[in-house]
Amino acid sequence: MDVRSYFPALDRQVYDKPLIYFDNAATAQRPQAVLDLQQRLCVEACGNIHRAVHKLSADATDFYEAGREAVRRYLNAPGRENIVLTSGTTASINLVAACFCERYIEKGERILISAAEHHSNLVPWQLATARQGAQLEVLPVDDAGELSVEELDRRLKAAKGRIRLLAVTHISNVLGIVNPVKDLIETAHRYKVPVLVDGAQGILHETVDVQALDCDFYAFSGHKIYAPTGIGVLYGKKQWLEAMPPYMGGGEMIDTVTFEKTTYAPLPLKYEAGTQNFVAAACLSPALEIARKMAEEPALQENLRTMRDYLREELQKIDGLRMYGQPRDPEKKIPLFSFTVEGAFPADLAQILDKMGIAVRSGHMCAEPLLNRFGQTSMLRASLAPYNTLAECETFMTVLRRAVRMLR
Amino acid sequence: MKTIQEIQADIVDEFSVFTDWMDKYEYLIDLGKSMPLIDEKDKTESNLIRGCQSRVWLSCREEGGRLYFAADSDAIITKGIISLLLKVYDGQTPEDILAADEGFIEQIGLKENLSPTRANGLVSMIQTIKAHAAAWRGSKPQPETPAAPKTDLESDIILALRQVYDPEIPVNIYDLGLIYDIQADADGQVFIRMTLTAPNCPIADDVVAQVREAVSDVPGVKDVQVDLVFEPEWTTDRMSEEAKLELGML
Repeated sequence: MDVRSYFPALDRQVYDKPLIYFDNAATAQRPQAVLDLQQRLCVEACGNIHRAVHKLSADATDFYEAGREAVRRYLNAPGRENIVLTSGTTASINLVAACFCERYIEKGERILISAAEHHSNLVPWQLATARQGAQLEVLPVDDAGELSVEELDRRLKAAKGRIRLLAVTHISNVLGIVNPVKDLIETAHRYKVPVLVDGAQGILHETVDVQALDCDFYAFSGHKIYAPTGIGVLYGKKQWLEAMPPYMGGGEMIDTVTFEKTTYAPLPLKYEAGTQNFVAAACLSPALEIARKMAEEPALQENLRTMRDYLREELQKIDGLRMYGQPRDPEKKIPLFSFTVEGAFPADLAQILDKMGIAVRSGHMCAEPLLNRFGQTSMLRASLAPYNTLAECETFMTVLRRAVRMLR
Repeated sequence: MKTIQEIQADIVDEFSVFTDWMDKYEYLIDLGKSMPLIDEKDKTESNLIRGCQSRVWLSCREEGGRLYFAADSDAIITKGIISLLLKVYDGQTPEDILAADEGFIEQIGLKENLSPTRANGLVSMIQTIKAHAAAWRGSKPQPETPAAPKTDLESDIILALRQVYDPEIPVNIYDLGLIYDIQADADGQVFIRMTLTAPNCPIADDVVAQVREAVSDVPGVKDVQVDLVFEPEWTTDRMSEEAKLELGML
């Protein structure tokens, strides 16, 4: 499988240098099949879904629902009604935070999140708990960046039923550690606490089977797994999705409307008010198909491990470099490295790397509390996808060493 | 002492010897390293300007009618550019600082560093320098709200103007406060008086053309005349609350 040929953006040059795209945790590049479908639908099936009887609307609806079915299969969800399409991970989490807290949390109760959360799995809970007079509690990470299942157990026991939900990331966008979500979920369930998993990073790097995980909610964005921006997914167990109140009101989420009372559409449409991004939703089908193919290709998986091990080793050779997220089991790390280098500020390094055609992320990475936990306000992050190459990693290291020398 | 224009010309001269970005960056890094540090006691929360990428501190004191600045940043390239800006503004009068622009940054090929999308605190720092100057001038510039609509046609024209953007700034030109006056008579003759954020704005013609085009498309408009002026000078005080929020100034 010549994976790079699927992604036209990988061929481009920036500042007359071949692009090395190492910011995949922010957004992934898109395969030609997705771009083709996107354009085709805009021409052939631009009719509003689930509404009209005409051909364009019917075709658009079929494509949209096929996108949902592709997600259902990818996650091994039991049914169509478990898959709510949203605009992204952030929208999915906001939905659960608002609707779950409205129905299930009261003054003095708490939502438990981990210290490794992206702002998107933190601020929505802050807003929703504040509205109910409830609080946030934070499950710490240790110096390696790992969460402890025992600590979770201890906290749930001490909370005596006052913790109503655990929201935790599958893989932190800063630490790149695959969290033991299955164990965390099992433990939470022993205390009858439901669990939302933020899968923004997990969806690309892990095989996600929501039934095997037994998570109550799983949220992810299309654009981090080769689909367009503006489409996201919320998987939810039926019992919760049925019991929670609707989120936004509007078209499509209703059954009947009178001025006195409205009854709501059955799942999943109850949570899909307004015209959805149906073209992007349809593009989930080819995107997930390619993701599946890439995940099943042993050579690509081997490539990811090789690049990871190479970078882990080479980065640590740089004098004064500190890496964040080093799990005890080295296999629990994805090829995502956040680090700081003494005497070389992340934004400066990123600026020099950019001029050499290398796209990396710098800054607080939407996880200020986590960076503070490690005494930093800013880090540099290189995050890889299966289409990156060892040769790119070697160039990256050469340029990084040179940039560090320039800055010191 | 040299005027702001003279110092800027010197800097442009200095940079003209560099042929590639690497040399320029190395020079900026040197400047950043050799820049005198802000007094630790002035590295306070109130002197802090936050960007997503890096933080900048700026303090200002007045002596004999002139302003003196000290600054710091955790990013060294940003600090190098700050040292250029301070070279220009340090020891100048509030009036001269307010009248000056930062066009020389573009001339030396570092324009992208001043883009708000870099989020490195530089844009906010320049605004803060100007705000200090405005405060020391004695009388603050009277914030003039953007021209308010008087008729339905004028409201429609404003809607059209809100679709026009300065390509550097993610806020439309109306909410930026660039529109000083709108006059539309019953015959559909429209007169617009406007400014730009900087007098030597390289895309001035484009923006004016866009304004003309957007307003011409408004139903009822027959003819559009655009008068580009730089008096009174635009300041950030003219921005709407939403615009300030959008640019992270609130």
